[in-house]
Amino acid sequence: MKNLRMKAARAALDLSQQQLADAVGVSRQTINAIEKGDYNPTIKLCVAICRCLGKTLDELFWED
Amino acid sequence: MDHYHIGVFFGLTAGLLAGIAFIMFLFKKKVLDMHFDERQERARGKAFQYGFFTLLIAAYAYGVSDMLLGRWCDVLTGVTLCIALAICVFAVTCILKDAYLSLREKPRTIMTFFALLSIVNLGLGVMYHISPGLTENGVLTFRAVNPIMGAAVLVILIVYIVNYLLRPRDEESE
Repeated sequence: MKNLRMKAARAALDLSQQQLADAVGVSRQTINAIEKGDYNPTIKLCVAICRCLGKTLDELFWED
Repeated sequence: MDHYHIGVFFGLTAGLLAGIAFIMFLFKKKVLDMHFDERQERARGKAFQYGFFTLLIAAYAYGVSDMLLGRWCDVLTGVTLCIALAICVFAVTCILKDAYLSLREKPRTIMTFFALLSIVNLGLGVMYHISPGLTENGVLTFRAVNPIMGAAVLVILIVYIVNYLLRPRDEESE
């Protein structure tokens, strides 16, 4: 399932996929795969992304 | 073992050591790097699995072909062929999953290096073909190792370039 909340949070901060990828230490393709729902990140990466985007794990990754 | 084969053994060993030293030098100069992110690590693990099974199947197929057809290549050439095939499967799988180059490697530098490696090895193959030595009595000799590796590197290079060209330019549209 696509992670539109993460994409929206990134866009709200005016960050490109590459900028977010550099900030959390992964490749741009990995950020792209997470947003598209093609890859399930580990909790460690989820936390790094949340910290970078100023969101909580629930806000970005919890599925209702 | 006669003098010729002793010479071949030391030549191959020296070549292998020089190759290892060169690769270590590239690592030291940060041209090559092994820092992958978690998605890449996982994709490479899967690619390694495919490469490993390709190696098993290729080795078995080579053994069977040798038994059924008789000697058609030197053992070293046969083994190199199997390894080259496994490397190609590993590399192509990695490339298709965007997990071939690490986070710090520069694609242009690596691909230029691959192009040179391919040209040198294929050039040696052509040279051996012109001054007979690639085959002896219909058997592919150990000299075929160079063009085989050159062809393998060329395949990786072509797949990388085609994959790069076919990838959407706009990151958001991927």
